[in-house]
Amino acid sequence: MKGTIAIIERELPSLLRMKQTLWIFAIVAFTFSATVLLKWPSTSTADLSGVQARAVFRGLAYAMFVTVVLVVPAFPATGLIREVRRRTMELLLNSPLRRSEIFVGKLIALVAFALLLLAVTLPAMACCYAMGAISPTHDVLGLYTLLGVICIELIVLGLLVGTVAETAESGLRWVYGATFTLTVIAVIPHIFLQGGESIYAVVASHMRTLSPIPALLQLIGDEPPGAIGAIESADLIERYVTSALVLSLIGSLVCIQRLNYSLMDRSRSQGLITDERSASLRAARRVMYLVDPQKRKSGISWFLNPVMVKEFRSRQFGRLHWLLRMVAGCAVLSLLLTLATTMGTLDWGVEKVGGIMIVAQVGLILVLTPGISGAMIAGEMESGGWNMLRATPLSTRRVVTGKLMSVSITLALVLCASLPGYGIIMVIKPVLQTQVAQVIVSLALTAAVAMLVSATVSSFFRSTAAATTVSYGLLIFLYAGSMLVWVNRDSPFSHAVVQRVLSANAMAGALNAMEVDGFQVYDGLLGTTWVVSGVMCGVLLLVLSVRTWRIWEPD
Amino acid sequence: MNDLQAAGKQDERFIQKAESVSSAVSPVVEINGLTKTFGTFVALDQLSLTLNKGSILGFIGPNGAGKTTAIRILVGLTRPTAGTARIAGADCVRNARKVRRLVGYMPDKFGSYDNMRVREYLDFFGAAFGIGRRKRQLRISEVLELTNATWMQDRFVESLSHGMQQRIGIARTLLHDPEVLILDEPANGLDPQARIEMREILLRLADEGRTLIVTSHILPELARICDRVAILAGGQLKAFGTLQDVSRALSQRRTMEIELLDTDRVAAVAAELQASLEQECEVTPSEAESVVRFRTSADEEQLSSLLNKLVTSGERISQFREVAGDLEEVFISVTQQTSEDRPQNTEEPAPVVETTS
Repeated sequence: MKGTIAIIERELPSLLRMKQTLWIFAIVAFTFSATVLLKWPSTSTADLSGVQARAVFRGLAYAMFVTVVLVVPAFPATGLIREVRRRTMELLLNSPLRRSEIFVGKLIALVAFALLLLAVTLPAMACCYAMGAISPTHDVLGLYTLLGVICIELIVLGLLVGTVAETAESGLRWVYGATFTLTVIAVIPHIFLQGGESIYAVVASHMRTLSPIPALLQLIGDEPPGAIGAIESADLIERYVTSALVLSLIGSLVCIQRLNYSLMDRSRSQGLITDERSASLRAARRVMYLVDPQKRKSGISWFLNPVMVKEFRSRQFGRLHWLLRMVAGCAVLSLLLTLATTMGTLDWGVEKVGGIMIVAQVGLILVLTPGISGAMIAGEMESGGWNMLRATPLSTRRVVTGKLMSVSITLALVLCASLPGYGIIMVIKPVLQTQVAQVIVSLALTAAVAMLVSATVSSFFRSTAAATTVSYGLLIFLYAGSMLVWVNRDSPFSHAVVQRVLSANAMAGALNAMEVDGFQVYDGLLGTTWVVSGVMCGVLLLVLSVRTWRIWEPD
Repeated sequence: MNDLQAAGKQDERFIQKAESVSSAVSPVVEINGLTKTFGTFVALDQLSLTLNKGSILGFIGPNGAGKTTAIRILVGLTRPTAGTARIAGADCVRNARKVRRLVGYMPDKFGSYDNMRVREYLDFFGAAFGIGRRKRQLRISEVLELTNATWMQDRFVESLSHGMQQRIGIARTLLHDPEVLILDEPANGLDPQARIEMREILLRLADEGRTLIVTSHILPELARICDRVAILAGGQLKAFGTLQDVSRALSQRRTMEIELLDTDRVAAVAAELQASLEQECEVTPSEAESVVRFRTSADEEQLSSLLNKLVTSGERISQFREVAGDLEEVFISVTQQTSEDRPQNTEEPAPVVETTS
């Protein structure tokens, strides 16, 4: 017990002292307060039906869930990996502390951290409660309890990933991948197989209880995704809580078992190369990988920009096999969405599916771009590579072009991956051909703005983490901020104000082109967003060029 | 091969090297009145020196002495406030692009890229220097062989140990076949075995006729490979020349060694030396080695008389020689002098000891 307390006393303050923590807490507090304040009744008429209050509550619940899913898993995974890499884990294992004490200490500290994150939303929830129509026990307490269980499950998952992954980057990749599988993928089979009596349908029905989404939807009174009219009789909340606690317990036991010296005994890469393996293995790898990452690369061709090739090779997802996986994932997702529409499993209509695809793609672009582009120059500065580049005869223009090309090709591939989805949309509704083309232009502009914002920010920083954080902040401000204004389009913001704010958001232009509900009312929005985004790209490119030239020239 | 054998081999190379230096006299590095200020802080103050083709210059000085600033100016990363620096006739500021092709620069920070294998890493820098693909592949194999790193060509750069990464760093600087190599702390953080290997690599490069400028805090390492040393302190050049000359000029006392055939005469010879030489003379007898060492300010004539006296008194002497100066002593002597000078007067630079041989 004393050991556990010692670990908590060390872990929790260090988590709270991190700069990122302050930023996350501040952003969460600001966003949640702003959401409630903007929805606060401004007229003297009381909404006795409670519709508005319930809508705010639902909005808050979704936002809290997204916050938990995005923020909570990262800390346990990276924290444990960092501890192994810095060798402080070795010191802990060498101390009289038991492995279970170390694990429980870490778990409690991380849960306390997550609860503090949830506590930041309490003022917003209190305001929502004051609007009425919300039950303090069923709604408020139920929501916080459910989110608490989700936090425990994700923290255990993060710690488990931390005992397996070797680098912080791979830890993040795996933990977010696992979180996505658990929350989203687990629900998808049920959407397609619901109502059936086959073994697959039964398995799919059980599988969805692993995801917290159906439980959350049931708690806030929304229909589960893909519901086709049948009333859901099962208690999804109870099922999810049971499955989450069982999974957390199993995960904890595995994690405690893995917390030993073998964590430090990871051998260095031996540089295995397919070219030197047996013929059968080479053939097998050729089938398994379209582009084998372990095949010895031929030299960089004369017609290619060496910086671009270097960027692809050195980036986490830059290797071609990863890009192909990512593109395939996007393609499958977009096809699934359109397939769901054609099968009638989702009664959403082509425009709505198109809207979801646009939002999902912009989300992907915004998640992906600062991570790639934010490290463009700041990463080189941090690693010392910038001076080595400066010591070569390469020109600034060639370096910047190579780096921008590497990011644009990645983003273009991601955008192209969703083309099959749009293709099906055009087949279902040929009249939408022009709109789809307009959507693609808008998405390309969104990608260009995101890339140039991150690249320009990157040229002002010497640390990748700082550049990436600032890039995320600016892009969230630009895209999510303008959407927050759109959410409050009836009050307090007028139609003209919303249209003006949306003109900086190319995603809004795409939604306008697709005639998604709530966006079709803004005349000429598409053209304005193109002009504003184009001007933004030009200005950012100019700033980036001048700034890069300045840091390239002798000090 | 143990450390002593390696050192012996390197000493031989050093002698050969010194001989070749005297024959190759074209200046490759010319620094004239180089000054760099950051606001009111003077990082480099009127640095002037020239370096001939095939030399190995040891650039030493305490932290903040201005070594890295001087190096950064030479490779075109920093603009000097005053003065000029030329490499093979090309001005480091005006012809920075040409200089980059003439210089191979290894900074103190390695600058690795994640997820890149050694061969890919070298391929990128080769392409950056505009070497054609076929020639580049051959060159990569050559430099990997030269640095004994062929076996790690498929390893990921970040997975290599510090010593291995340093070797890859040197291989990278050699890709475009530069005339001058500038290596900032190449032996930093290396274990003794890796240091010996690094020393061998550097000597091999000098044998090929390249000019090397090496900074290091590990002074015995520099003493073994350099034929010139430049000591910087407080941004000023305090001494420049061969180690022996710098050592003699700065300390004004040299270390001599007498090796005797009769071990039992060591104590008697030591007593005789103590009596014959000045009072401050430090005499250290070593019966195990059958050697008497002494540090003296006596000139050549006095030493000749002393030798004559010992021989006529019947001592059987197998060797009478001057021991090469200790770089550490010289360094401490210069840096102590600088720290003593500093509070009194910072306006007048301390006199530079320049020797040419």
